[in-house]
Amino acid sequence: MRYGEEELRGWMIGGLDGFSADHAALLRALVPLLGGFYRRHVRGNDADIEDLVQETLIAVHTRRATYDRDRPFTAWLFAIARYKMIDHFRRHRRLVPIEGLEDELACAGFGEASDARMDVAALLGSLPPKQAAAIRATRIEGLSVAEAAAARGIGESDVKVSVHRGLKALMARVQGDR
Amino acid sequence: MMDTERLIEQLASDLQPVRAHDVPRRIAAGLVGGAVVTLTVVIAWLGVRPDLGEAMRGGAFWMKSGYTLSLALLAITAVTRLGRPEATGSRWLWLLVVPVLLLAACGVAELLRVPQTQWLAMWLGQSWRVCPWRVLTLAAPIFVGLLWSFRRLAPTQLRLAGAAAGLASGAFAATLYCLHCPEVSVVFVLTWYSLGILLAALAGALLGPRLMRW
Repeated sequence: MRYGEEELRGWMIGGLDGFSADHAALLRALVPLLGGFYRRHVRGNDADIEDLVQETLIAVHTRRATYDRDRPFTAWLFAIARYKMIDHFRRHRRLVPIEGLEDELACAGFGEASDARMDVAALLGSLPPKQAAAIRATRIEGLSVAEAAAARGIGESDVKVSVHRGLKALMARVQGDR
Repeated sequence: MMDTERLIEQLASDLQPVRAHDVPRRIAAGLVGGAVVTLTVVIAWLGVRPDLGEAMRGGAFWMKSGYTLSLALLAITAVTRLGRPEATGSRWLWLLVVPVLLLAACGVAELLRVPQTQWLAMWLGQSWRVCPWRVLTLAAPIFVGLLWSFRRLAPTQLRLAGAAAGLASGAFAATLYCLHCPEVSVVFVLTWYSLGILLAALAGALLGPRLMRW
């Protein structure tokens, strides 16, 4: 289950006000969100990803005072996640020239990008699970149709049809919103 | 490695509420803590200038402290922003040239009022050799105070955050140094004070990536 900006922000503010239950709910909701983020950007095994997720959870906890209650939560969160990712690269891939990477990754508009990601997550949530999964696999995670089909144990044509129908439904929904 | 669920339980169990505006409070605390040390050093080591009361009625004292204080306030604003992870857009830092240009304009006006033969003496004053180094030294306690503040902050542009913290330390240190420094010429301040503050900013830029990692 993916949560949106409003829920996450509500829990974050609850945590800042000292409510443990809200804080725990927030951290639990962040696990899949961060896991997805790191799997998309870091080529590492599951243990690496879990390490990164845990480190980020600890950072979200220890640095929570830097969250400004009036600003978008996801922009703050992904700024931390990105910093932890750069730190990970620094420690594990010493051959990669890191000097320029920081500036490149620090580019403006990241908040908008993460908002867009939240919007995509919300939109996909409105589709039947099969179509959503097919679109997520082929259009967001970047798998080929064959890989996506193999991963879910269904036929390739099934994946193609799901993607096609799903995208059509999304298109209709987005245009309907205007 | 610890299981994620256990980690979450542990983090949630020792939860302390966070006050609003915690970032500026924390920075103010580090700044004041460092400034107290610097002020003590100015008073105990250098000594307050004996004619301070008289100097405070003249323009030169306020020219100096106004210049350094305006730089300090701009820099501390930058520090406050850079302490948050999502800090973007540091283009407004160009505002820092405003006090410099204003002081430069005053400097030109000053030079035009006095004969050329005195220019060199005005520029070098009595203390040009020590002024930048004193400012840099006095900046150290304030910088350490700010590093303490940063222990709970989340800077993501470490070099820039370090430079801003260095600049703020240098500029605040220079402001406190005004209590001692008897120099009156604008061109002196423009050159040697600025040099000391710049050295502090450079030191901060070098140290930031090492000391502010988290």
